[in-house]
Formats: sequence, structure tokens, C-alpha cells
Amino acid sequence: MKNAIEIQDNPDLAFFGRINASISHELKNIFAIISEAAGLLNDLVELSEKGKKIDTGMFKTCSRDIEEEIQRGFATVKEMNAFSHSVDRSLASVSLVNLVNLMINIAGYLSYACKVRITAPDPADLEILTCPFRLQHIIYQALVFAFKRTGPEGEFRISILTENDSDVRIAFSDLGNLSDENFPFDHMAAVVESIHARIRVTEGFRSFDIVVPKSIA
Amino acid sequence: MSTTNKIKLLLVDDEAKFLQSVASRLALQDFDVTTATSGEEAIASAEKGYFDVAVVDFKMPGMDGAHVLKVLKERHKYLEIIILTGHATVDSAVECTKLGAFQYLEKPYKFEKLVESIKDAYEARLKRKFEHSIKHFEEIQKLSISSSPLGILKALARLDNDEK
Repeated sequence: MKNAIEIQDNPDLAFFGRINASISHELKNIFAIISEAAGLLNDLVELSEKGKKIDTGMFKTCSRDIEEEIQRGFATVKEMNAFSHSVDRSLASVSLVNLVNLMINIAGYLSYACKVRITAPDPADLEILTCPFRLQHIIYQALVFAFKRTGPEGEFRISILTENDSDVRIAFSDLGNLSDENFPFDHMAAVVESIHARIRVTEGFRSFDIVVPKSIA
Repeated sequence: MSTTNKIKLLLVDDEAKFLQSVASRLALQDFDVTTATSGEEAIASAEKGYFDVAVVDFKMPGMDGAHVLKVLKERHKYLEIIILTGHATVDSAVECTKLGAFQYLEKPYKFEKLVESIKDAYEARLKRKFEHSIKHFEEIQKLSISSSPLGILKALARLDNDEK
């Protein structure tokens, strides 16, 4: 059995934990909004019962906020579920577009996340056979790097393209230069290698590509 | 305290819906509430307005709660600041305490607890201002015996600058 230090040093486990913490924080935000909107609704009802005239628009706003946040909660739980099941199989056929979109949504919970413009083919057109969890890990770290380079007010582009007969390419471009970090991060080398991916960087890190085999079978 | 006799609150959170609901609830409790959705907006509001207490979310895009706390405490020495956080850690609690936060509240909190904390923070602000005023008054008394009229005026000006 592995000891505690080995477990902590496992980048896959660290990534899984980080995503879970991020999603739980997002859910906490959603609950906080629902809690305050419901509290306000109660306050308004109490005042109304005491004979104070209340603008009905306030009731509507509260109930609409609650409804919207519940929908946001469902969407977040759906993402959490999709992410959690990505460890079920070490090799699976996945839509690259759907996988990239899932990671954009999850990474979007980071406080320093910025806008991402994505150009992608139809999800069904780019099915690849890979280790979904490891590929998610690489894309998430790439998003973290791109967010830090660009800053929360900025915007960058992701294009999903066919590289050649055997590879596909996830191209990050229009990155800023706020951070002096380089990509891939040191701890990522083994993860990138494990799915036979490679990372191609332009000078100055204003753009980079993640090149992924269409099949690692 | 302001001329309206209500506690003047600056409420800062990047979650607009959360901010509006809490602001409305606090307004119903008779607080005079101004909202800001970012640290930069909060600092600008504090420059323009007069606030007794600020309630600031810790995790915000751009300028985070700790940075806002630091700037507000530097510029408005009597402003008491309560930090709200969705994910409390010992490190962030220590950081906020060192920077002079009045209280560090973890979400979800009971609304009554927030109201109580704001009232406590306001009392602490009044107490500090009062203590400072007495100190200044004593200084002015001493100066009035030993200093020139210009020295007395300078001491009064310093007292006036400290009011915010």
C-alpha cells in the first residue's frame, strides 16, 4: 500500500481533488445565493403579513433568482458527474469538443478565469480514443496557464483542428503575457507523455498547441 | 455615524444576485447599504462616500478581498471590515486578521449572525473614534497651554483628517 507522501505527490489525485474542491466551492456559492434569496422572500412575506405594502416585483425577482440558481446547480452537478466518471475507463472513445467544453466550464469557476472563444467542428466529427481523465488534466492545466497569461479581463481563443491523419490539435492563441510561467508545468511531463500527446509552443508563449493522437490503442 | 442615523454599509461581492439579496435584506433591517461588485469599485465608492462598516467577499476576480481590506484599512482607519468567505482556511483567516479585519465569517452563515457582526463592528468603530477623540482633546488641551494659536489649529486639522 502506498504511503501518505506518495499519495500526495500523485498529480492525478491532486488534479481530481482540485476539481472537486473547485466544484464544491461553486455549489456553495449557488446555495448561498438560494439561501439569501429565500431569506429575503421570508422577510418580505413577514413584512407583508404585518400590513406593509411590498412591491410584487421583489417577490418575482426572488423566486426567479432561486429558479435560475437551481438550474445552475443542476448544470454544475451534471458537469461534476461527467468529470467523476472520466476515471471509470483508462481508454475510451470521447468527443474532443465535448471534453474541451467540459474543461472550459469547470476551469471557468476559477476566480482568475477569463473569456474563451472556441472554434470547433461538430462534436461527433472529432471522436478520439484516449485516456479521458489524463487528457482533461492536460487541458485544464493549459486553461489555468492561459487564464494566468491573459488575466480575468482578457479573452483568448481555442481552436480544435485535425492536425493530420493520425493527430488532432487543440490550439490556444491570443494569449496575453501577464504571467512569466511556462507551459507545460514541470509536473505535467509524465501526464503528457502517458497519452502520447505533445505540446508545441511559440516563442513568448503567445500561443501553443496540444497535439493528441486520434487513437492510443 | 451619518446624518441619516443609519449604519452606513459598503457591501462587496462579485456574485450579483447574492449581493442584491443580502443588500435588500440588510436594507429591510434599516441599514443604509451601498453595493459594489468588485474590489476596484469598492475602493472608489469608499473614496466618494462615508461608510461605517464594509462587508467584503474574500474571493473575487481581479482584486481579492485581502487586497481590498488592505487598501481600505490604509485609507480609512476607522472603517471596520468584515470578510466573508466561501472556503475558509487558517492561512486566509490569519492574513485577514493581520490586515485588520474585524471579523472573518464563513458562508453559509446565519443572516442574524451577519447583522450582529455588523452591529458589533459599528460599536467597535464608535469606540475607537471616541477613544481617539479623547486623546486628541487631551493633546489640544496641552497645546492650548503651551502652543501658539497656529499649533492649536494644526492639531485641530489633524483631528478633522482622522474623522474618516
